[in-house]
Amino acid sequence: MVVAEPKDMEMLTGAMIPPIPARMLNEFVYCPRLGYLMWVQGEFEHSADTVEGGIKHRRVDKGGGSLPEDPGEEEIVHARSVSLGSETLGVTGKIDLVEGEGNRVTPVDYKRGKRPHVEGGVYDPEKVQLCAYGLLLKEHGFECVEGFIYFVGSKERVPVPFDGALVSRTMAAIEEFRKVAAGDRIPPPLDGSPKCVRCSLVGICLPDEVGFLSRRGVEPRPIFPSIERGLPMYVQSPRGYVRKDGERMVVEVAKEQVAAAAYGDVSQVALFGPASMTTPALHECLRREIPVTWFSYGGWFMGHTFGSGHRNVTTRTAQYRASFDDGKCLDLSRRLVAGKIANCRTLLRRNWKGGPDALPSLMTSMRGDVRRAVRAPSIESLLGAEGGAAGRYFANFSGMMNWKDEGEGGFDFNGRNRRPPRDPVNALLSFAYAMLVREWVVALSGVGLDPYRGFYHQPRFGRPALALDMMEPFRPLVADSTVLTAINNGEVRAGDFVRTAGACALTEKGRRSFIAAFERRMGLEVTHPIFKYRISYRRLLEVEARLLVRFLMGELKRYPVFMTR
Amino acid sequence: MERLFIVAYDIQDPKRWRRVFKTMHGYGKWLQLSVFQCRLSRMRYLQMEALLGEFVNQKTDHVLILDMGPADSVKPRVQSIGRPFEPVERIPVIV
Repeated sequence: MVVAEPKDMEMLTGAMIPPIPARMLNEFVYCPRLGYLMWVQGEFEHSADTVEGGIKHRRVDKGGGSLPEDPGEEEIVHARSVSLGSETLGVTGKIDLVEGEGNRVTPVDYKRGKRPHVEGGVYDPEKVQLCAYGLLLKEHGFECVEGFIYFVGSKERVPVPFDGALVSRTMAAIEEFRKVAAGDRIPPPLDGSPKCVRCSLVGICLPDEVGFLSRRGVEPRPIFPSIERGLPMYVQSPRGYVRKDGERMVVEVAKEQVAAAAYGDVSQVALFGPASMTTPALHECLRREIPVTWFSYGGWFMGHTFGSGHRNVTTRTAQYRASFDDGKCLDLSRRLVAGKIANCRTLLRRNWKGGPDALPSLMTSMRGDVRRAVRAPSIESLLGAEGGAAGRYFANFSGMMNWKDEGEGGFDFNGRNRRPPRDPVNALLSFAYAMLVREWVVALSGVGLDPYRGFYHQPRFGRPALALDMMEPFRPLVADSTVLTAINNGEVRAGDFVRTAGACALTEKGRRSFIAAFERRMGLEVTHPIFKYRISYRRLLEVEARLLVRFLMGELKRYPVFMTR
Repeated sequence: MERLFIVAYDIQDPKRWRRVFKTMHGYGKWLQLSVFQCRLSRMRYLQMEALLGEFVNQKTDHVLILDMGPADSVKPRVQSIGRPFEPVERIPVIV
């Protein structure tokens, strides 16, 4: 495992470490990396298993009963949801149920599912968690020699005696977790473990991907891409009005319902121009961590509204630190730009419709551009290499379009222009880039990075520099190719544009068909060139964002830029 | 992996019926009186099941959840007379 030198990272000293929740101790024993991610970095993600666990826990979480003030009294103890903590042990815990008589009590922990077929009927991590409860009760003056795990699925109560071996195992786990938390090295992922398959943090941890990129040669299992997420909701009709109706969002145009979607099926909301949203609808989005992004009428990305944000501070610290490191900035920028040029080259090769003579020399010169980018000695010369390649690419862009005479100029393209775009193709390109920026801003904020601090693009007020950085290799793959598809399939026609004072923009209808084409592209599954599993572009953006986190945290030596063949 | 479900219910009390009706809008598409069509991941299915279990009166009400199979590959064999029946699709909302 490659781990960066953690010298200058902020470290928690022993005294600063807060007591460990016994629940987290369970995770740590299950997988040290999981414990670290959950407790030290504050990451959490629901999976079907955690949701089910929550449902099965509902009864015990309601509380009720209390522990006696003076453990000496002879009375029946039956208390639910008992919170205890101890500085000496360095542990806190919320015990599902404590029962007993006088000062002899036993903790009971509820687990969803059935009693497992292992020796003693209880898995190790659960034993340690229960034993930590036992130690906490002892600290508070009770006598406690065993506990129970209650399996809700099979309605069985399995006793766990707190013998010497278990107690010393628990103490050792506490000690070790404190040590891991005090250092700032994230424990390495488990090696091809079956535990990962149903782990809810698998998408954050990326065990197989990180392992594959840092040392072993086994192909990663497609665990992460199979996680289901919702789909975006676009409201680009200027009279669009989104309101909350119970469990769904309803979109109205002129008081008439035109669409509705359950909150649980929506991953993000994009609002264009004067389209509006009620406060209750927005509150529910914030509560469910559904980002809402705002565009100008013409598709200019203006910003996004997101809940209280990501809790993982370590990630952002690593990002800022790397952004001040010139070497790291240059290394990452070179890779991203080289990736972009290579992907542009691939797109040209695949979609070339121009004359057969022009292509070979174009391919050669673009390969030269890739080489120049990879070897660029500074950001300035990298900008030069990028500019040269972009000029070449856009000069030949029309070679990928079908030539249909549509009158009114059709889709005549003579190079890139913007702010404002002056012809239909440029209008489409600008709009597609704005959409892709939004996707990246959402993906980056979602994994705990700051989209406004980049490595290649310099930070400037209101410019999501990191999103622009990360988007480079995806410009040809997602945005340009959507533009080509929309034009070549006739999904967007010359009549779908309005021209005012030299500027050209999409009409409402044209924008709707183009967004549909863009979403189709995002849903397209591609085979990942490194990991070999199939994944949609939508999920791929998140994988790339997570891999960037792993690179910035020093777990990966280099950032693997996505390139298609 | 998402699965396709048909949820049908008989609720005796109008107040509870309204509550179930509203909840179901969060999980599926209204098909007919007291019948919904849903496309759910395991997580969303569990949430729906738990909510319904909480709302209904176990003695008098009845909720049926019919599993039609994997939503992406299954072609439900449904005979629909009158208005057409179309399985819910997974598509982004664009207005």
